[in-house]
Amino acid sequence: MGLIDKLISTARRSSPWLLHFDCGSCNGCDIETLACLTPVYDVERFGVVNVGNPKHADILLVTGTVNLRNREVLAVLYEQMPEPKVVVAIGACGLSGGIFREAPNVVGGVDKVIPVDVYVPGCPARPEAIIDGVVLALEKFRGKALAVL
Amino acid sequence: MQTTALALAVLGAALLLGGLLSGLDRRLTARLQSRQGPPFTQPFFDVIKLLAKERMVTNPWQAFSPLATLSAAACALLLFAWQGDLLVILFVHMAGGVFLVLGAMASPSPYSQIAGQRELWQMLCCETLLFVMAGALYLTTGSFRVSGAAALGEPLLYRLPLLFAAFLLALTVKMRKSPFDLAGCHHAHQELVRGVFTEYVGPHLGLLEIAHWLEVVLYLAICSLFWATGPWGMILLPLTAFLAVIVLDNVSARLTWRWMLGWGWGAAFVLSAVNLFWLKG
Amino acid sequence: MTIQPGLTGSIFFLSITGSSMTEAILVVLIIVPFFAALACLLIRSTACRACIVIATAAMLAVSSLLLQGPLAPDAGLRWAGLIDPLITGCDFLLLAVMFYLGCRYRHPLIVLLTAGQLGLFVRLEFFVFAKDRGHALFQVDVLSLTLVRVVCLVGGLICLHAIPYMQAHEQHQNPARSRQPQFFALLLLFLGAMNGLVLTNHLAHFYFFFELTTLCSFLLIGHDRSKEAMDNALTALWMNGLGGLLLLFAIQGLYGQSAMLDMTGLAAATAGNQAALLPLSLLLLAAFTKSAQLPWQRWLLGAMVAPTPTSALLHSSTMVKAGVYLALRFAPAFAHTLLAQGLMLAGGFTFLAAAALAIGQRNAKKVLAYSTISNLGLIFACAGIGTPAAVAAAMLLILFHAVSKGLLFLCVGTAEQQVHSRDIEVLRGLCARMPLTGMIAVLAVLTLIVPPFGMLLGKWLVFEAGADHLVFYLMLVLGSSFTLLYWVRLAGTLLASGQVEGFKPERQPLLSRFPLVALACGAVVLALGAPILYGRLLPGGQTWSAGRGGVLTTAVGSFPLDVLFAVAALLGLLALFGVSRAMAGRKAFPYLAGANTRLPDHFVGPMNRPVRAMVENSYLAPFFGEERWTLWVNLAAAGFLLVMLGGALWQ
Repeated sequence: MGLIDKLISTARRSSPWLLHFDCGSCNGCDIETLACLTPVYDVERFGVVNVGNPKHADILLVTGTVNLRNREVLAVLYEQMPEPKVVVAIGACGLSGGIFREAPNVVGGVDKVIPVDVYVPGCPARPEAIIDGVVLALEKFRGKALAVL
Repeated sequence: MQTTALALAVLGAALLLGGLLSGLDRRLTARLQSRQGPPFTQPFFDVIKLLAKERMVTNPWQAFSPLATLSAAACALLLFAWQGDLLVILFVHMAGGVFLVLGAMASPSPYSQIAGQRELWQMLCCETLLFVMAGALYLTTGSFRVSGAAALGEPLLYRLPLLFAAFLLALTVKMRKSPFDLAGCHHAHQELVRGVFTEYVGPHLGLLEIAHWLEVVLYLAICSLFWATGPWGMILLPLTAFLAVIVLDNVSARLTWRWMLGWGWGAAFVLSAVNLFWLKG
Repeated sequence: MTIQPGLTGSIFFLSITGSSMTEAILVVLIIVPFFAALACLLIRSTACRACIVIATAAMLAVSSLLLQGPLAPDAGLRWAGLIDPLITGCDFLLLAVMFYLGCRYRHPLIVLLTAGQLGLFVRLEFFVFAKDRGHALFQVDVLSLTLVRVVCLVGGLICLHAIPYMQAHEQHQNPARSRQPQFFALLLLFLGAMNGLVLTNHLAHFYFFFELTTLCSFLLIGHDRSKEAMDNALTALWMNGLGGLLLLFAIQGLYGQSAMLDMTGLAAATAGNQAALLPLSLLLLAAFTKSAQLPWQRWLLGAMVAPTPTSALLHSSTMVKAGVYLALRFAPAFAHTLLAQGLMLAGGFTFLAAAALAIGQRNAKKVLAYSTISNLGLIFACAGIGTPAAVAAAMLLILFHAVSKGLLFLCVGTAEQQVHSRDIEVLRGLCARMPLTGMIAVLAVLTLIVPPFGMLLGKWLVFEAGADHLVFYLMLVLGSSFTLLYWVRLAGTLLASGQVEGFKPERQPLLSRFPLVALACGAVVLALGAPILYGRLLPGGQTWSAGRGGVLTTAVGSFPLDVLFAVAALLGLLALFGVSRAMAGRKAFPYLAGANTRLPDHFVGPMNRPVRAMVENSYLAPFFGEERWTLWVNLAAAGFLLVMLGGALWQ
């Protein structure tokens, strides 16, 4: 691995910009996710920025169940993210549909629509677990292709 | 050949300085919010990551504009380093802003469109103040050349205190910190996704980030003209201004663009005009 | 004075044939258009008309390039005995026509003003002017050369563009009988009149051409014969008639001071003469009406109802420049007086106020009109500053403005025929629908606001020349910022589209495309030649380029054009590479909060139907709307004019 490749690889793992998408969560996981930005956890220590724009994001954090209505939106957001990108599904609902999975309008977990790299369990998931999931997701960048400058 | 090497060295130094300043800004802001904040080198990692991402455009202008903005910023900075004409420097710098807005408006995304409009209001406010400052430079030194400030023999700040206050206001806006509804900084309190930058992706965003570093260095360089009697003044005054702007931003996080266009600009313009007439009279 | 490198052979030819050749060129420039106009009127075949227009345009273009000054002082003098009575006769004819028009449309103001002109003219012609007029009839210096070339080259191209334009226009209007013969006759007649206006050195002849352009303007504005068109044409006629009357008064006063009608002679002779300031201020007022400066902007705004070639030719590139030409011609006479200060402030105010009003406009042609008014104000201010650098800056501004603004008008006109609207919001995304026209329009806007293009060079010169006058400098700063704002907004609106495809120019007639492309190339090439031009425009070429070539150095600053062009060229190369790389990448849709549909600018709305994401520009009507501000702005402008007059009287 050349110096530039190493640099890019390090940069990617040092600068994860997040897009947080609430697919239909009860807001429990959302609150825990946003709690990561607060002074207590301060994920910006690791270069994390919550960008709110798929076009700038490297990591897509999805909370909540996927339903027939927001399925398209989830797919579009994922598609609008530039490569390389990873997806972290958060909470029981994001993983499998949770307690809503039998509902007629529910599609199920996030991985029914887009490929998921990391699963963070919990109802709601704890901030520590979410941070852990993001750190795990960063490792996934190792395997991704290196775009040429 | 020597000139080219020197120019590249200046640009390299400016890049390093700009990136570090951006890191300092993020860290200080975090500290003011009782957080620890990212390492100083964070901006460099951000930019390298962005440059290595995938290219995506909705309109070819989004590929052209970052290049134009970066060229303009670099050119303006080099003209400053070579003690050029402040008016020309401002014109060139303004051209960078023009392309940034054109690229943003080239996308039909409403966020980007509205941000483009607001960016224009922002340019209206800040550029007028900078041009008034150029006029003041001429009135005090008899020349529009940057070198005039050093030749004056006493700090420009003594003659232009009101204008300096107006300049600080412009600096706050130009560093993309306030007002929050047009800012494009890294805080999580933006109104329009990420303002004019919304539609720029990956490498294009990275180039704009670099252009922004160079612009910040240019503003601080212009700021240093206010105390151009020696190296200490030229370092300490911009540094103080930089820190002041960070504090100012953190104590006034909810300023809107309407405030900027009305009260902010009005007050700043009157202040600088008064200063001009006072100089002349 | 300016020698085109490719034409060295012809120049050589010229030098041996001497002044008779120059006279021939003058004849081609002034007389031939009149005959061409006559031919257009008589021959009703479309193809023949097109040929006549093309031939005339080509002839004028070549002649204007061949023309060079300074003329021998006796050029054309041997025909003075013929020319003088001819022009006097035509003058009476012209005034009679205007009088008739005033009666026919029952417009008492026009009748009154024309009667006043007629009376004054008779008095001057038969009782005041001495018979002996032994001075040069024509005048070819850098100022008139600049304008002649603008008229012939830009004007010629606009005439070419008009050929397909008017055909489409008539198909849309569908009149009982084609009115194209009159239209083209007037266009060509106007070219001749304008050439006469800038080449003549005889103040009475100048008055004739001045009035002739007024009449052409009236007839061309009223071309469509709609109620609105006729009303606006009449407004233009009376306002310009007032200008004519003021001009006659000025001529009377100036003649009273030094008993001659030699324009350059007068400008030199009245310099420092306090008593001449009053007629000079009347002269400037006449120039203000002609150039539609505040508070007389109404006629130019109304003139936008005319077909676009008219707006491009008369109301942006050439006719309105007659006013600033007059002011620049007489600039030496009132240099360093209170009148000059007043002119500077009045011009500066027009620059600022018209730019502010342009922000509030969503009619593209009106934005262009306001911007024309604003730029002319800046040029007037240059005449007021009066230093050689400022006057050279004024000429640069005239030149670059004519090219870029003419081009923009042509683009808007071409687009208007496709989308049938002048509303900026309807023109939104023009670059996707008409890639070539849209891109050229954006380029034209960029040539107006971005370095290294010439317009900015001119503005820079004005900044440096005007920095000693604080109030003016502040006006300049604000006005420039407003200007930037409305131009970028217009260009950005034209660009807005989410379709990424290769650049495929739309289909359009050759005669539409050629002028667009030629003017666009001209705008870029002229910018490259700006240092050379500036060197030629400055008398004696002093203060030009200390040290390296390509750096414009004045006493207080320097404009490194070479560096800027190098950066622009580098950027061009990078852009070719960067844009093609980006286009090869994945196609992205705009960010619509994830609710995108298959259409780029539509989101999923109620019932899963696609809804277009609509954003309109903010025009901030409460702050910049013309309905609200016109009255106040006009009052302020009138105040500035009074200051100007007062300055003249005070001294």
